[in-house]
Amino acid sequence: MSEDVVRMQVNPETCIAGGQCELLAPDVFEIDDDEVIAVVQGDGRLDRKVALEVIDRCPSGAISIVEPDEAAGGG
Amino acid sequence: MAAEGPPPPVDLRDPAVFAQGIPHDLFAELRATPGLHWSPQHDGDRGFWSVTRLAEVVEVSRDPATYSSEVGHIQMYDIEEDCLAARASMIDLDPPVHTRLRRLVSSAFTPRHVQGYREAIRRRVRATLDRLEVDGGGDWVDLVAAPIPIGVICDLMGVPEADHGYLIELSDHLVAGTSSEPLPADAYGNTTDLRLLPFNSPAASAMSAYADAHAARLRERPGDDLSSQLLAAEIDGEALSPEEFANFFRLMIFAGNETTRSAMSHLAMHARAFPDAFGAVAADRELLGALAEEIVRYSSPILYFRRTVTRATELGGTTLAAGDKVVMWYASANFDDAAFDAPLEFRVDRPPTPIHSAFGGGGAHFCLGASLARLELVELLDEMFDRGLELDHGTPTHVDSNFVNGIEHLPVTVTRSSDHRSTP
Repeated sequence: MSEDVVRMQVNPETCIAGGQCELLAPDVFEIDDDEVIAVVQGDGRLDRKVALEVIDRCPSGAISIVEPDEAAGGG
Repeated sequence: MAAEGPPPPVDLRDPAVFAQGIPHDLFAELRATPGLHWSPQHDGDRGFWSVTRLAEVVEVSRDPATYSSEVGHIQMYDIEEDCLAARASMIDLDPPVHTRLRRLVSSAFTPRHVQGYREAIRRRVRATLDRLEVDGGGDWVDLVAAPIPIGVICDLMGVPEADHGYLIELSDHLVAGTSSEPLPADAYGNTTDLRLLPFNSPAASAMSAYADAHAARLRERPGDDLSSQLLAAEIDGEALSPEEFANFFRLMIFAGNETTRSAMSHLAMHARAFPDAFGAVAADRELLGALAEEIVRYSSPILYFRRTVTRATELGGTTLAAGDKVVMWYASANFDDAAFDAPLEFRVDRPPTPIHSAFGGGGAHFCLGASLARLELVELLDEMFDRGLELDHGTPTHVDSNFVNGIEHLPVTVTRSSDHRSTP
């Protein structure tokens, strides 16, 4: 994976469905209307610059970047 | 617990401190003083720590395990266990119970979802401004700032238009519970012990009675509103009890009404005070969102919420013990110069982060209605700019409270700028 592209994850325990992620990166995040949390679409790849903004804007701090070893191990 | 240095010569409990709005000089002094500020006990109520810097407001907000909304009151004064239980709605609870309650309604408030309310909001905005323009002015709060948000939240909760005025009245009296002159105990035929009622206000019992009757109506004939959704919802196989529904209903009406109203009231004063910023946005509507955000930061409608410490910890250089009260002054954090460049300037070109704390410092209790409030402000501003409205105002009457930065009355005169005079 290029250094400028990262993979995103959402912590379902802390997500409050604030929806900022869906607004900023609609291809990667969607608020699931049944579960009422943000879910990552597809492989969750996002430009690092956008990723950092999404993380900053998430009101509950539920979004993070999947670290490389996590990604390799967890698939 | 000993405080560092002498306390400032003011009591942060006293509504008079906020009589002319946010006390910027006082808060600047507290932010510049290392550690947290300690307000000693008063009239038998325990003392509390004041958190005044943005970074620490965010730290407290995002750690509900250490800073609880549930083990103590979320206002600065303590109340007894049975009172906490009787009043509890999701705002008074911690995860995981809070999370389950919030998820019953949160999908209706996402940025994507609230776009669906845009047209209805714009219709309400037009109707209120039409009325204001007919008379060339009037009380901005009564004619514009109050009816728009209560109309929007009542629509969401399935409350008929004819009852909006009554709910505004009750909601206003709840705030009066934080003032120096609360309502008499038997107002609205109240017979409940005041200490069991939110804001110690008899209006809370009238609001619960309204919620009961509303629930009975909707059980007969459910609609597609949030009240009907709440009445049909189950948590772990159980429906909300009548008290839980009433507390939920009251929270939604109060929170959806008073706060946005306050921001809209301040908006009218900002329009006169900061004509350059407003002019720039009138010419470039891409900036509407930035203007709405700056209005919210600058007005900080909720002055503070409190948390109670659950375990020994350290915050901003001060050691805290379990049971300590921590008051997060959003109205101070939003003017923290460590976070905002020239914080007393009103600017529409601020970077998107850090986010101000007027919707809370993040975490589980971040304002549920933030996206709805932003949209209501944007629609009001956009319509004002479309009409070329020019506002002038007289002296505002501030709400007497240490909890909200509200405006009770604001006399305005309204005209249209010369290039708009020919339009309807």
